[in-house]
Amino acid sequence: MKAPGRAGSERPARNQNQPADSQNQPDRSQDSPGARSRDWAAWGSGWLARGPGWLFAPVPLARVALLRRAVYAFVIIDVLFLHTSGYYHGWADPVWYQPLVMGRILHLPAASVLLVRVLRVGSVLAAALALTGRVPRLAGWATAVGWIWFQYIAFAYGKVDHDRGDFVIALLVLPLIGAAAVGDHRRSEAAGFAFRAIQLTAIATYFLSAWAKIRFGGLGWVNSATMVRAVVRRQTWFGDQLLHVPWTLHAFQWVLISLELASPLIFFVAERWRRRMVGGWYLFHAITYAAITIAFWPHLVMLLAFLPLEQYHPVTAARRARNSRPRVRPATTPETTS
Amino acid sequence: MKVSGELRAEPEVIRLPAGARGRRMLALLVVTGLFLAGTVAGTDNWWPFGPWRMYATSTPPSGSVYSLAIQVRQGADPTWRNANLTPTSIGLTRAEVEGRMPRLTADPGMLATLARSHSRLRPKEPPWSAVRVVRNEALLAGGTPTGQVRSQTLITWPAP
Repeated sequence: MKAPGRAGSERPARNQNQPADSQNQPDRSQDSPGARSRDWAAWGSGWLARGPGWLFAPVPLARVALLRRAVYAFVIIDVLFLHTSGYYHGWADPVWYQPLVMGRILHLPAASVLLVRVLRVGSVLAAALALTGRVPRLAGWATAVGWIWFQYIAFAYGKVDHDRGDFVIALLVLPLIGAAAVGDHRRSEAAGFAFRAIQLTAIATYFLSAWAKIRFGGLGWVNSATMVRAVVRRQTWFGDQLLHVPWTLHAFQWVLISLELASPLIFFVAERWRRRMVGGWYLFHAITYAAITIAFWPHLVMLLAFLPLEQYHPVTAARRARNSRPRVRPATTPETTS
Repeated sequence: MKVSGELRAEPEVIRLPAGARGRRMLALLVVTGLFLAGTVAGTDNWWPFGPWRMYATSTPPSGSVYSLAIQVRQGADPTWRNANLTPTSIGLTRAEVEGRMPRLTADPGMLATLARSHSRLRPKEPPWSAVRVVRNEALLAGGTPTGQVRSQTLITWPAP
């Protein structure tokens, strides 16, 4: 969130790096009107020649490596600690199994103790391998299959969580990029597409959930007692405080649906605002968690795809700073000789 | 997907050839269509493309909030006690049991599978000899709970 100072210091480096088509660049925001129209003309002809460049705006491979770390580390934590109900379905009687469309198409069986154990260990091992950065495609696909199947088992017993569909896309697009190292500052269009797909899915979650609220709750959803119901059922200290002031929960519903409907604006703002909007969403999810102890964990990981992660990483950030300085350096400095 | 062969490195930016771009755009279009269809017409069964309807239902400000409790008898002890409705105890979540109420009402014998799963998951605890589903209803007035709770036994196994 402390973006302004940083953003100012990044500009020189960016200008050396042909900023025309990269993600997380303050593209239109600071250009002169002439440059802006030239940009649009170039963008238009680029679209005709090579498809919509916006979808493939190059992203540094260092950012890919960092997002992968977050995603695959999350898979391990999720499978072992966060979302374990699927694991225990191995012990439920198959009479409770209600195959979803995906399971009917793929002929997926009801859970058994052996199946859930294999899927749990398999997903964790595959994600651990993916974390090392070796064989990124094989490890990435294996993680995707393991995690998705594990979620399927969790959801095929009558209760589907609505916050996990988007993470499927993240797991499916990350292996498409191939090798990426934290120290690699080349930019890649394959990475650009993967990041754009993750961003689009993450925002679609907000926008389409507003749609679902109107579809299932009707236009009266904003004035209904949905949040009261959630708070009564979850019973937290913070939620109880809000119950004493009922208008807060009512207002929350108006704010929520407005934010969700406005969420696609994130694709049209300058980077500084993009970072602030992501920070705002994290704040929103923190408040939700305090009130009803529900967090859409996989989605929180996906939001990282909006941030220039390599600029936050101490090693790569230091290297960036070094590279943007003049090449002439003193042979040794007192700090580095120790 | 052999992407590595399709990439050709340039000084700064690794480009993606037209074929790979086309395939990705097509896939994105298909997935977008599925997510949109799921939101407009889908159900939870469409996962991962089902509607994102977290907290999408409306609750009337003066209705009630109900929750189900599973109560059990241990061995020969006739007292009903609240059982944990958690996956580590019965292999299922509270919502999953709640969601199957029509089926449970038609076939109370399904409650026996909960006792069996409990014995497998918690072999050291006393086995359940009887299971019943109780519905607790917290009444709301003007958007706040009144403190009043109504309880009602819905299903019992073995049949009383």
